[in-house]
Amino acid sequence: MLEIKSLSKTFGAGVAAYHALRSVDVTVAEGEFFTLLGPSGCGKTTLLRLIAGFEQPTGGQLVLDGQDIAAIPPSRRPVNTVFQSYALFPHMTVAQNVAFGLEARGTAPGDVARRVDEMLQLVQMDHLRDRKSAALSGGQQQRVALARALAPRPRILLLDEPLSALDLKLRKEMQAELKRLQREMGLTFIFVTHDQDEALTMSDRIAVMEGGRLQQVATPRDLYDHPANRFVAGFIGETNFLPGRAAEGQLRLDGFAPVALAEAKAVNGAVTVMIRPEHIIVGREAPDCVQTSGQIDELVFFGTDTHVKLTLPGGASLTARAQNSLHSATDLNPGQTVPLSLPYDALRILPDEAAHAV
Amino acid sequence: MLSEASNGEALLRRAETRRRWSLAMPALIVIALFSILPLAVMVVYSFLTPGTYGNVVWQFSLDGWFSVVFERDLFDDTLGLADAHLSILGRSALLALATTGLTMLFGLPTAWFIATRPVATRAYWMFLITVPFWTNLLVRTIAIQEVIRADGTINRLLLGLGVIDAPIQMMFTNGAVLLGMTYVYLPLMVLPVYAAIEKFDFRLAEAAYDLHASRFYCLRRVIFPLIRPGIVAGSILVFIPALGAYVTPRLMGGGRAMMWGNLIDLQFGQGRNWPLGAALSVSLTLLVMIALVLSVRRFAGGGRSDV
Repeated sequence: MLEIKSLSKTFGAGVAAYHALRSVDVTVAEGEFFTLLGPSGCGKTTLLRLIAGFEQPTGGQLVLDGQDIAAIPPSRRPVNTVFQSYALFPHMTVAQNVAFGLEARGTAPGDVARRVDEMLQLVQMDHLRDRKSAALSGGQQQRVALARALAPRPRILLLDEPLSALDLKLRKEMQAELKRLQREMGLTFIFVTHDQDEALTMSDRIAVMEGGRLQQVATPRDLYDHPANRFVAGFIGETNFLPGRAAEGQLRLDGFAPVALAEAKAVNGAVTVMIRPEHIIVGREAPDCVQTSGQIDELVFFGTDTHVKLTLPGGASLTARAQNSLHSATDLNPGQTVPLSLPYDALRILPDEAAHAV
Repeated sequence: MLSEASNGEALLRRAETRRRWSLAMPALIVIALFSILPLAVMVVYSFLTPGTYGNVVWQFSLDGWFSVVFERDLFDDTLGLADAHLSILGRSALLALATTGLTMLFGLPTAWFIATRPVATRAYWMFLITVPFWTNLLVRTIAIQEVIRADGTINRLLLGLGVIDAPIQMMFTNGAVLLGMTYVYLPLMVLPVYAAIEKFDFRLAEAAYDLHASRFYCLRRVIFPLIRPGIVAGSILVFIPALGAYVTPRLMGGGRAMMWGNLIDLQFGQGRNWPLGAALSVSLTLLVMIALVLSVRRFAGGGRSDV
């Protein structure tokens, strides 16, 4: 179990100070696939580097199994890293790379050889064990980097955007394989990525970061269905935002009649309302929905579904997704005005930006 | 059709080859005229008979080569090894090796320091390294003399402080030659090593630390093997000219700490034995060539096996 307690990191000082991490609090559970997700510059890599020990925190604690590891140098932390650039040693063979962490620790040669064999079989690189690492393809380097980091039996494996250099097909394969390995070994993974699909498909829990702060820590499902704020809602998946006001348990979207909504009880004043494109019902009126209509501006065909870009009577734009099932009722055409239904239970009230702005 | 096409292709290729040769011609002519031709003259002269007042007599003789290694006793005409030559060769090799070692000792940290500065200030440090080249080698060597001679800066300082009673003899010793040569050849070590360290990907060092390597272990297993080509290049650049060094040993070593280059000079000057001088110089060239071929064999495959 890794407890991150009000961890901060500031580079530089005075007016030039850059706050890469602002008092982050989170606990990573044993055997969890934990993902740090956010745009570049959000602090996710800094957090990973602090856990690895490459940077010293300017405040807070890093507690691993009850011990504060912030002062321990990286060479003596029971964590290993899979680097974005892989950072394989180019003058060594695949097997020598995998053996490095064990040899550096002074493991007996016989044990090193056994563990290297085991690791190479695990990542299916046994047949290339004597190949120079520079002579490997991207996917193969990725596997070696993984085997090398796993060989010293870390308590936590850190992965710094390890799949970003691979092409899409290979990336999908490696995602599945990483997830399988993690589950089989029951090892704690802390995985950094800026790719929300990757985060959603692989993680047990995701920490969304922005501006050096944790915005939300939740399961992929929760993050998607109940984003804590506008940033998370916009970063994960596609979203429509509509302005509105909430008062006394009533939500009034601008230009519509008020709706009684349980969620609205907690807030008062200006709010942003979010609705996912796939929840909008296009072409018919449905019960328990905000009823409106929209003019179709553009249709984009995506295979399984079609993205429908619409303009509402008030001038706001909205994107909906219509499933392309065999029984789709309506034929949609650009320029056409169609009825729209926004189900009450698909509406999410987010705190207004003004109140939330950093 | 097919043969015509391949015919045209062959023609094109021949034209291309011709073009490349003609582009390389100026350089080849310079090399032939000023490098290969003088070397050939040396080789020819080494097999001739010395003239009375220097120069050579066009008469074949192996005496020049013979005298490189052997000498005939003046009185009983018995053969003996040319001890003087061999000890000078030994000293030259030792001093050149020591110079290489010392330039490495001082040059590696210097190169490391420069390569790890922010990119913007690196050019400034490199500029400082080249400052000594602005002054003639002779002037620089005499400046060192000024520092270490009997009534030079160091001795006067120590005398003034009462540390010593009589000046320390530093000039005209092997130590003085070594000091001068280390000073002169240091930049030749720093430059290639700097280039190698600058290319080193420091994320690899980070990976090594992450994989439980101590600083020393990382240096030995990761950093050193990867910058070794730069160290080898620097060593070759220092060792070869140091082996044949002339100016520095002449000024700093005087007649007592002579090196191979001074011996060659002696044969062409006072000794008036040009064939011996030529033989000595060709033998140095051969030694260097053999050493180079060996080191290239040893290190060219260096990337293949580590540790």
